[in-house]
Amino acid sequence: MGIEAARTSAGIKRMKRRKSWADSLAPYLFVAPFLLAFVVFFLGPAVYSLVLSFFRYRGYGTAKWIGLWNYQAILQYKVFWQGVSNVFFYWVAHTIPMMIIAFMLAVLISSKVVKHKSVFKPIIYMPQIVAGVASALLFKNFFGTRYGILNSVLGLAIPWLENMSLARWAVVIMLIWRGTGYWFVIYLAGLTSIGVEVVDAAIVDGANAWQRLTRITIPLMRNSFMFAFVIDGIVTLRLYAEPNILGGNAGDVCPAGMAPVLNTMMINLRSGRFGQASAVGWLLFLMIAAVSYVQYRLLRGRKQEA
Amino acid sequence: MTHLSRSSSRSSRSYVAHRRTAQFLVYSVVIAASLLALYPMGLMALNSFKSDNEMVINPGGWPINWTLKSYGNIFKYHGGMWVNFLVSVGVSLSSTLIAVLFCAMAGFAFSKYRFKGSGAIFAMLLATMMVPREITIPGRYLLFAKLMWLDKLQALILPTITPVIGLFLIRQYMDAIPDALLEAARIDGAGHFQVFWRIMVPTSAPVLGAFSILQFMGVWNQYLWPAIAVRSRNLQPLMVVLPMIVDPEIGFIPAWGTIMAGCTLSVIPILIVFVAFQDTFLSSVVIGAVKE
Repeated sequence: MGIEAARTSAGIKRMKRRKSWADSLAPYLFVAPFLLAFVVFFLGPAVYSLVLSFFRYRGYGTAKWIGLWNYQAILQYKVFWQGVSNVFFYWVAHTIPMMIIAFMLAVLISSKVVKHKSVFKPIIYMPQIVAGVASALLFKNFFGTRYGILNSVLGLAIPWLENMSLARWAVVIMLIWRGTGYWFVIYLAGLTSIGVEVVDAAIVDGANAWQRLTRITIPLMRNSFMFAFVIDGIVTLRLYAEPNILGGNAGDVCPAGMAPVLNTMMINLRSGRFGQASAVGWLLFLMIAAVSYVQYRLLRGRKQEA
Repeated sequence: MTHLSRSSSRSSRSYVAHRRTAQFLVYSVVIAASLLALYPMGLMALNSFKSDNEMVINPGGWPINWTLKSYGNIFKYHGGMWVNFLVSVGVSLSSTLIAVLFCAMAGFAFSKYRFKGSGAIFAMLLATMMVPREITIPGRYLLFAKLMWLDKLQALILPTITPVIGLFLIRQYMDAIPDALLEAARIDGAGHFQVFWRIMVPTSAPVLGAFSILQFMGVWNQYLWPAIAVRSRNLQPLMVVLPMIVDPEIGFIPAWGTIMAGCTLSVIPILIVFVAFQDTFLSSVVIGAVKE
């Protein structure tokens, strides 16, 4: 960091030799388009949402200051808590098996045993190129009760997507299918970055493949696992398209039993309760901040330990 | 002597056998995983060649009557879904072009200039990556309603043109470009914009390419905001339309053949980029993983 700063400042000094008003204006002109657009389309609306969350405002007429009432209302909604428990379920239920599968595949593909790495790597990644909406539709077709693929193969009529406890697992299976390739590629990059010397030293010491995996690779990757688990959690807390398309009909939202948190925002938005919709957004932010903070504390604890 | 050589040959034979079993097991796991990854996609492609009616009786098997009827429906259903495909292409392309340009320009400024507040502004931008972007939706909805921008194409494009991740990645890459290169151009009389356009953009081509893929996919896949912001059928992107496709005569029942044709259509542009630029594509996954 220090070296980098010194290097850039030296570069700047050289560049500043013939400094005119145009030179001092230039950087502002370069950042202006991004910053302006950022303020208008992200920061502004985000702050506006924060303000809205303390008002009762239906999009017309006058806004009325009501303090924390919107938050209290949301926290009393059963659907909101159902949504919270659903996304946490989706997170834990899909991330753990997905990470294990992705890591295992990365270990296998990076091992000397597999020779056609350049064939398998893109194939295993492939589900990622299917959009969330499209893959939800594939699985909706697969799990359909009357015309679904699975039931037609089994010759049964199991209500996979109508029974909420089954439907939540259908979402989990879909998330695992679509997400594995992503983490597989990430882990593969992580594995190749583990020093060759470390592995070679272990081979010289007579460690077999299994010992190298459990004693060296996995401990070295421990922080990456934590990090991946939390990143995936943050994405899952913001889930929207997948469960709604799996469980909803023709663009409708899905039943509350499998709905993610963001559905509470959508329902409020659609009925013009902008204050409550905003409150859901900021409650979601608090959840994400809490999860990130726990991860930060755990990682810091680990580092001090080591 | 004989004893020794026999035992060593036996152990090497058992070593080979051991290796063979290991290889067999590893390959079966890897092949099984590949098949599981491809199965839904292959089925999607197969089902797109069935008619909506055949999908009811034969959703999982080989097509009985191969037909392009479902692809034909893309021009009929939902008032002509091919328009929605073009909307998706147009929106994703323009968003990507603008975002790459804006991020590259700002990345250049943050990387190669020191100006008042640059550190604080950059830190603030990074901090906003923690904020889920869905928070902006209620505020942005009201803002766009006031501007009469809802139900217009700009409602789909403008909110996506400032991805902080892109700024971050490009700035990081530009930090590694030696200042001597810029200095040389300056001595040759290049102005600020020429330095950016002739030196920085070509030298950062790898990261600009990788980020373009991330950005295009991100916009292509968007669902939540477009579903709220655009209600006119002919302005909705493909992703919003796909789940709503029903047989126009019966109504309500999903037209599965046509939906699968639409899904296949939605994968094709990404697949082309994936096949053509596989290495950039896969490296974009890894560099983009700093997200959030």
